Amino acid sequence: MKKYLSLVRIMFVQQYKKSFATADTKKKRIRTTVAYWVLLAVCFLPICLSIAVAMFYIGKYSEGNVYIATFLTLICQGLVLMFGTHSIMSNVYVTKDADKLLYLPVRAHVIFIAKLTVAYINEVITTAISILVVLLPFGIGSHVGFAYYVSLLFSLVLIPMLPMLIGSLLSMPLSALVVFFGKRSTVKTIIRIVFYAGMMALYMYAMYQFGFISGSENGSIFYNPEVYIRDMIEHLTERARSIMPYFHPDYMLANGMLARSFGTWIAGIFASVGENALLLGLVYLTAMPFYRRMLSAGLEEGGSRPVRNGKETLKVSNRGVVREFVFTDLKRTVRDQQLGFQSFAGLIMLPLIVVIFYFVLGISDEGDASFLELMAVSDLYQVIAPLVILAYMAFLGSGTNVLGIFPISRENRSVYILKSLPVPFGKILLAKVLLSTAVMLVSDFVSCVLIVALMGVKWYYGLVMLVTMALIGFGVMCITTLLDLRDPHFGWQNFSQGLKNVKNSYIAMLIALLTVLAVALLAVPFVVLYALFGGWYWILAMWIVIVALSVAFATVTYKIMDRKATKYFERIEV
Amino acid sequence: MIKLYDVSKTYAKSSVKAVDSLTLEIKAGEIFGFLGPNGAGKSTTIKMITGILTPDSGTIQIDGVNIAENPIGAKSVIGFVPDDHDVYETLKGIEYLNFIGTMYGVKSATLKQKIEEYASLFDMTDVLPNMISSYSHGMKQKLSVIAALVHEPKVWILDEPLTGLDPQSAYQLKQLMRKHADMGNTVFFSSHVIDVVEKVCDRIGIINHGKLVAVDTLENIRADDKVSLESLFLTITSDGEGK
Repeated sequence: MKKYLSLVRIMFVQQYKKSFATADTKKKRIRTTVAYWVLLAVCFLPICLSIAVAMFYIGKYSEGNVYIATFLTLICQGLVLMFGTHSIMSNVYVTKDADKLLYLPVRAHVIFIAKLTVAYINEVITTAISILVVLLPFGIGSHVGFAYYVSLLFSLVLIPMLPMLIGSLLSMPLSALVVFFGKRSTVKTIIRIVFYAGMMALYMYAMYQFGFISGSENGSIFYNPEVYIRDMIEHLTERARSIMPYFHPDYMLANGMLARSFGTWIAGIFASVGENALLLGLVYLTAMPFYRRMLSAGLEEGGSRPVRNGKETLKVSNRGVVREFVFTDLKRTVRDQQLGFQSFAGLIMLPLIVVIFYFVLGISDEGDASFLELMAVSDLYQVIAPLVILAYMAFLGSGTNVLGIFPISRENRSVYILKSLPVPFGKILLAKVLLSTAVMLVSDFVSCVLIVALMGVKWYYGLVMLVTMALIGFGVMCITTLLDLRDPHFGWQNFSQGLKNVKNSYIAMLIALLTVLAVALLAVPFVVLYALFGGWYWILAMWIVIVALSVAFATVTYKIMDRKATKYFERIEV
Repeated sequence: MIKLYDVSKTYAKSSVKAVDSLTLEIKAGEIFGFLGPNGAGKSTTIKMITGILTPDSGTIQIDGVNIAENPIGAKSVIGFVPDDHDVYETLKGIEYLNFIGTMYGVKSATLKQKIEEYASLFDMTDVLPNMISSYSHGMKQKLSVIAALVHEPKVWILDEPLTGLDPQSAYQLKQLMRKHADMGNTVFFSSHVIDVVEKVCDRIGIINHGKLVAVDTLENIRADDKVSLESLFLTITSDGEGK
């Protein structure tokens, strides 16, 4: 027990230890933390509020239906699974500290349980957010009693169990596959991203199939929301009644949460606790036989086998400082197990969500035109939709672009190389911003193609959106690069955990959002004039102004970055 | 070739001076050994000379160039071998050398020739196409040495260079240091290994608690031939008194 607790403690210290590279007073740190939470609220409050309101109404119209509650618990678990599987994998199965653990006089199962505990606590944080946004408003809407809110504490502890089991079961073959590919790092990164994308798509598909994202026989959510929600709940209950009892721990938890008597409450909660304990046992039993082998297999990829005729294979190239930097940075990132996944997996979100929007808006009854089809023929849709989608692309694209958010922090201890090179630091930063913008552009390009193909937006709007997005993205990346440079985090062991809670990604989203808001505000007079008097020239003028503003934004932010970068860079102490 | 005048450095998170009013001059053609116990300020001094850290006060000149005024010019003539060999693990050895060559503006033909020459010397030719993450500690060390030399630096700075090297490579490295200095260049290296310093260096400096406590030729420091450098080092660094 003592060894287990020591391991858990040291793993936590490693994970959350912030190795600040610059001087930071206590007062300043408090100010930064407050600003960070305000930013978080600003960025996510609208999204969370809209989900919470929807859950409130689902609660209200379902009147505390136990099948719906089970289904919502399952949704929370889906979120935990989506955001937590990678955490399980990088924390438990593909870990960088195996060499430091295997020589300790500690049994493999103690290491496994300690690592699982750390992964579990990380998942409890995700669970808490999902409960706040999903289960709490559902309970308020259902007018349930006090016992429901007490039960939420149990659900906080129990909800991560099923995702842990699934995550573990999925992680084991995936980790084995990753180990199998040995030194082919790029292939390993691709496998992980494909796996993650597949899981996301599967989750969305399951939700869609289940009817949670679906049309209504009597109306769309845009025309008649109350009828839409009632129809949806009816449809959902019908399906859930036959399927939900199979998710028995969740079903029992929901029974306990919505119980009207103390006896039913205690029975439900206890049954769920017992069943979840069994699940935990199952995780342990399935993983243990392979765990030690998996840990040591991860270390076996070391060893450099000499290449025959090595001299003949040595190719020397010289492609200029910025290009060399971009390519070197890209190679380093793609081949890094943690960085590669974190940097590129986020970028699939944007195209994926466009597809989901297509499914949501494209639903129609047989023979009728869908909401999307109706909208697409409207001239005003062609004017407004690109602006709305642009805002969304800038917001999500900037916030998920790890390459641009942590360009300096991801250097970790190798940052000294940048500092010792006889290259103007401005060039290094330009290379970093260009790489992050280029990677984001790939995602934007795919999204724009999908928007034109699926959402009915005219191709030339798609093109101008891409240009605008490139410029805004470049500008935002200049600012985030500067922010990271001002307050870099080095000495991390696990990139995903070490930098997960850093404010930069939220600031990136906020900057992108504010920029696009400014763009939108500028566009309003043109849209109004177009709506009142017609004439394509208003739209042309609007896009000229938007592109010009984006050019100005990119130029100004680059100049700010270039002016301040060296001063911040010199302050970094390694 | 290397001039430090009244250089001081205190880390942002510390109140103790890591380097305190250090004045030092190292001439062309000499190998200078920098000795000191752990935490004495050796690596901090090296990091300031290489431009990784900025001194709080004082000036540093490399080949007549003030590093604060012209950092690019000063860094161009330095070849640096760090102590932790934290090189880009996910690059192949040859990719890393290409990267360094490009950054130092080495022409392709020269780069190829230098890589082949040094790789052959350190028996690294056949592993350069492999990923650095697969290298042993000593191989990474040798890669760092090659990377530091591909642009033929006038000033070669090595932080604990012999740690982890096999005897053959350690011998080659010492020979290379001598050869480099004999060509009119400067070699500045820090070490804990007193024997090596004794055998290789033209002059030595001893630093303790951030202050330079002794600097001279070995013969001059060791006035009495019967006193070993080791006992001299222990005496100087234990009571802090210098020459």
